Amino acid sequence: MANRTDPAAKSIRGTNPQNLVEKIVRSKIYQNTYWKEQCFGLTAETLVDKAMELDHIGGTYGGNRKPTPFLCLVMKMLQIQPEKDIVVEFIKNDDYKYVRVMGAFYLRLTGIDSDIYRYLEPLYNDYRKVRRKSPDGNFILTHVDVVIDELLTTDYSCDIAIPRIKKRWTLESLGALDARKSVLEDDFEEEEEKDENEQDGLEEEAAHEKDYYRGRSPVRDRERDYRRDSHRHRDRDYDRDRDYDRERGRGRDRDRDREREGRERDRRDRDHGRRRIRSRSRDRKRHAHSSMSPRRHEAEDGNPPEESKKKKGKKEKKDDGTDHPDPEIAEANRIRASLGLKPLKL
Amino acid sequence: MIEVVLNDRLGKKVRVKCNEDDTIGDLKKLVASQTGTRPDKIRIQKWYIINKDHITLKDYEIHDGMGLELYYN
Repeated sequence: MANRTDPAAKSIRGTNPQNLVEKIVRSKIYQNTYWKEQCFGLTAETLVDKAMELDHIGGTYGGNRKPTPFLCLVMKMLQIQPEKDIVVEFIKNDDYKYVRVMGAFYLRLTGIDSDIYRYLEPLYNDYRKVRRKSPDGNFILTHVDVVIDELLTTDYSCDIAIPRIKKRWTLESLGALDARKSVLEDDFEEEEEKDENEQDGLEEEAAHEKDYYRGRSPVRDRERDYRRDSHRHRDRDYDRDRDYDRERGRGRDRDRDREREGRERDRRDRDHGRRRIRSRSRDRKRHAHSSMSPRRHEAEDGNPPEESKKKKGKKEKKDDGTDHPDPEIAEANRIRASLGLKPLKL
Repeated sequence: MIEVVLNDRLGKKVRVKCNEDDTIGDLKKLVASQTGTRPDKIRIQKWYIINKDHITLKDYEIHDGMGLELYYN
């Protein structure tokens, strides 16, 4: 039968590798004509030919959740389980970006943690455009490094739940990986040096400068910074941070945070910290976190803090209706507010 | 404010309070927060008519107390 996994294949994470894809999505793939016509009897070599013909990535789309050819080929890879060398070849090849993304996706699903970081992080430097099919059927523009970032930081992509891996700093502390080194690091060091020379001398800075001019920081310093900022890399709001940084003309500087001088920039940003916190909270609402704080409600209402304090005495002056006397309605409104919806109209 | 009932005939029956001018997408988010599945995994149907995400409940003529079918993608 065409849908059986290769009997010689290893089990991934304790189960049939095809079970990495959920039952419903798997059934959709098996019923799909692309799968039945093109993916029958594929081997590793013929799979490459099919992969070269890909022109978009994506999961399932449309009202009846049709799978994309990308998803079918990933499923085929899970079924035949190519060797690691072949997968690494897919990733290393430069000409066909969709083959690269497919190899990276497969490695992310089936590889071991240190391999994943080792092979996927160089792909952060690939900024080519990639076409992505959204769930409603339209195409979206994205880039290779955005896709890789999504693979490394989120736990769901292209309608497949991505297995959890250890955090990078855990592997670093175990010694399995080296500290992350970006290709753009040297450029940023020069820029930071220039910025630093222009700054007014604050006490902390004087101490930092002394360290800097004494020579390169000890690895411990860098590790400390990286650990301190490592949550930023893994935070869901990381995208927001990156956009914020991009706005401020800092470009692709996700490794800037790692540098010691990054602390100074944070101090500079402290004035804008309030705005930053607000945008983050709005972002969190979109991600359906339902934690409450008065400040967040103010951000949502658009009222300045003083006004809502004055109105605190009167009930139902809050726009989102979370203080309605009926607890059921108040609860419903609280959930709606956390999802970013308007309150119930009674 | 209307209240709709969603039933998946496998044991999950959910009552959701919403506005008439909410879209189906919003309704899916509300259902997801109550049942714990992801909103994009949910499909809301009314006898073979799959309801689309961008249309409001009012336009689908979904009234108070109406029952909808809950399926999964």
